Amino acid sequence: MADANMASAVKTAGGLIGAGLALGGGAVGASIGDGLAGSQTIAGVARNPEAQGRLTTLMFLTVGLCEAAYFINLVFAALFIFSLGK
Amino acid sequence: MSTTTLVGVPDSMTSGLITPLLGISITPGLHLQWHILGLTINADIVWATLIAGAIVIALGLTLRAKATSGVPGKFQLLWELAVGAIQTQVDDSIGPRGANVVPLALTLFIFIFTCNLFEVLSIGSPIDFLPAPTSDINLPLAMALYVIVLVHRAAIKNRGVKGYFAHYANQPFTAESTLAKIPLTFANVFMNGIEELVKPVTLTLRLFGNLFAGGLMLSLLAALVIWKLGPVPIGGILSVPFTLMWKVFDMAIGAIQAFIFALLTILYFDTAMAQGEAH
Repeated sequence: MADANMASAVKTAGGLIGAGLALGGGAVGASIGDGLAGSQTIAGVARNPEAQGRLTTLMFLTVGLCEAAYFINLVFAALFIFSLGK
Repeated sequence: MSTTTLVGVPDSMTSGLITPLLGISITPGLHLQWHILGLTINADIVWATLIAGAIVIALGLTLRAKATSGVPGKFQLLWELAVGAIQTQVDDSIGPRGANVVPLALTLFIFIFTCNLFEVLSIGSPIDFLPAPTSDINLPLAMALYVIVLVHRAAIKNRGVKGYFAHYANQPFTAESTLAKIPLTFANVFMNGIEELVKPVTLTLRLFGNLFAGGLMLSLLAALVIWKLGPVPIGGILSVPFTLMWKVFDMAIGAIQAFIFALLTILYFDTAMAQGEAH
């Protein structure tokens, strides 16, 4: 009985730690990517203000791609928490 | 999360401000299901997909009835904006050879965008009766596989069967001597194989992940309502504006993800239809 409790506790702890690592690492990567995209867009607009329209579209596209990597991580985190950690 | 996970936590830690939040139980991925011939079918996703498809078809038929070569109305302008955006992307990357890709990419864009907008109707309950079809993995996976199969068909059409396989064997590493070619061919096939396998997986998970996360966020915001500070229902007060903000943000995410899906479709066709390689 105690062993079963222990096993369940270890499973939950492992699931939660894994989810935390996935979310934290994913957030770090996505933030760096978003920051790079934003800073380069600002640099580009400062250099050539006429290109703002095209650059903004491209920036949102890049931000969407960067965020997507994070959201894939979020799905795996949900998998860890709600399925593996139960 | 069951209460057994709190065993061993001192009472002083659980009786704080956030005690009610520890009791939140969220169950994502629940669907109304049909069991047919041993298959499990998510019924709510099926009818939501059908409704989204019907909306897209109705929009197309309305445009056909209203289309004019004179001064266009608002409805036609909206369509021309979408078609123009896709057309520009195809022209920029593939060129005139990619004329066949425009209808596919445009349909994917409009359909996915319509599906994503369904999330605005969601209230964060375990089972919604009209969920965003793209928040279940089956629809994005089906669309990604459809796109990838067509991409490989275009590649075979472009390069021929021999050229299709040679493309994976001879790139990106090349060598002059026959002896050096053998290990490099293995490396090329390995790397290109991984790239081709990853394409449909990321195409699926990118769309699914975004919409699934949107639904999860709505569930979390709805669950926030049980948070109270004494007599003050602080969770309920916070939940309403945050839900509104998140829904607006989610509509923008839905539009961007729909466009990215269409754009990546175009880019995959671009690599498949690329010409001028030496074999």
